Amino acid sequence: MGDAAIEPFGDAALLITFGSTVDARLAARSRAAATALDAARAGLPAVGRPVPAHASVLVPFDPLAITLEEVVGLAERAVAAAEAGLRGVDPGEATTTIEIPVRYGGADGPDLDAVAELHGLRPSDVVDAHASAIYHVLFLGFAPGFAYLGGLPPALATPRRASPRERVPAGSVGIAGEQTGVYPLAMPGGWQLIGRTDAVLFDPARPDPALFRPGATVRFVPLTPSDR
Amino acid sequence: MTSAVFDVIEGGLLTTVQDAGRPDWAHVGVPESGAADPWSLAVANLLVGNDPGAAALEVTLIGPTLAVRDGTAVTIGLAGADLGARIRGGRRLRPGRSHHVAAGDILEFAPDDGTAMAAGIRAYLSIPGGIDVPVVLGSRSTCLAGGFGGLAGRALRSGDEIPARHPRAGGPGTGGTGLVRPELVWPEPDAAGDTGDPDRPTTLRVIAGPDPGLDALAGRAWRVGTAADRVGVRLDGDALPDGIGGETTTLGVPWGAIQVPPDGRPILLGADHQATGGYRVVGVVISADLPVLGQLRPGAAVRLAATDRATALHALRDRHAALAAGAAALRDAAGWGALIDSAGS
Repeated sequence: MGDAAIEPFGDAALLITFGSTVDARLAARSRAAATALDAARAGLPAVGRPVPAHASVLVPFDPLAITLEEVVGLAERAVAAAEAGLRGVDPGEATTTIEIPVRYGGADGPDLDAVAELHGLRPSDVVDAHASAIYHVLFLGFAPGFAYLGGLPPALATPRRASPRERVPAGSVGIAGEQTGVYPLAMPGGWQLIGRTDAVLFDPARPDPALFRPGATVRFVPLTPSDR
Repeated sequence: MTSAVFDVIEGGLLTTVQDAGRPDWAHVGVPESGAADPWSLAVANLLVGNDPGAAALEVTLIGPTLAVRDGTAVTIGLAGADLGARIRGGRRLRPGRSHHVAAGDILEFAPDDGTAMAAGIRAYLSIPGGIDVPVVLGSRSTCLAGGFGGLAGRALRSGDEIPARHPRAGGPGTGGTGLVRPELVWPEPDAAGDTGDPDRPTTLRVIAGPDPGLDALAGRAWRVGTAADRVGVRLDGDALPDGIGGETTTLGVPWGAIQVPPDGRPILLGADHQATGGYRVVGVVISADLPVLGQLRPGAAVRLAATDRATALHALRDRHAALAAGAAALRDAAGWGALIDSAGS
């Protein structure tokens, strides 16, 4: 199981840690471990659904219904199985491409011009660079349906706005540091907004409420004014 | 069959439908939600014969005003903080017991007699059978961040109706509604919540987290800040020394996690916490003390006491045993199963 560390996290969870950096490979290991553990916990109501992130997996459990040692054993076996699987081909990953149609700039992307100016680019260059990159869903968190995406071209990395907006509309596409992402819901936020999509990122009535699936590939497709 | 039990005249500060929560959707970013004080939710439900995790109203600080529907008599369970519940023009409704309310009664929260507001900030109001709102992602709880669950994904407001799951057994006037249960008193001191004395600290027991610094955290006097809601509670006090707080690689975080941002002032994560977080986690409040966390009042003094896993599990077992003992005593007192029809009494 390589260099994974498994430690209690409070009295009702444990944390599997693969590292401490933002690295697509660590995120892939975390996802694979979470998937394996989710399968292994079938029939074990005392173990909650694992939560993968950049380089770790949170595993909630009911400490009065299962011992820490049992959950650690379950986690160790799941990590080992996942690591073995990762050496081959994981058919569950990277087979899906999600296309997100985006209206860049204007009222939908009020920070596009500022981002371009900061990098000495034309706004159309920013759009081209953002829309030509291939992104990967690393994991979901922060808000319902929000995906942490890897793959933003380094030339587009932009600090957050000095002052957050009180309300960012749902579907807003933004940049914050080395990340890009889409706000699934209207909420306060400090990301630089370069565009907006009508895609519904989260709908609790859907069997799969989140549009973004961990491991999937994402492309942003610019809508021309005639598409709108 | 659903029937509305209450008409909402005023929603109060933040009154939401909450049950035992939806813990299994954090992997798509959904907060677990559920009662901020799960102990008091359980007590309120047991008082009217419900499962401990049935959907009830979580009332925050300034309670709602509810009118009991015509033709309806209902027994409500109350638990948690005493926020001044009363029948308008009539009797006071104390927490830790169930109360008959009659058609036309106005149920209000008016902390005006000096005895209310003694402890905590959240009260739970249950009705037999629980509140009938749709199950979304496995729970009836309101997800305020996502705008779903509960009553239209938001807090109660004027004009809403509160529907009961329990079907009416008879028509108006017959009294056989199934919404009326024996009036019962919770047999033990309903201990959740702070002391009400802002200078006597409330203690939360804490296990060390993935990041160092628990000793420094536990050695300081803290006070609940004004930024305190279902998502989290910010603590005010002397900032922790440099090097403890900071950002970290974003990770999944449990309810009760104590994040320390770069400014050195801790945040205690509540029931509506974000599924993942990017601040260092110096400790985690033990499960047995989460109900206490859910009752922290802005301005209250707080002490964080380092403890170990064995103590945490012992305390959690004690909580479960106390709940089971209370439930058994209520069943005995009620002669449960033979519902007492006291409509109109």
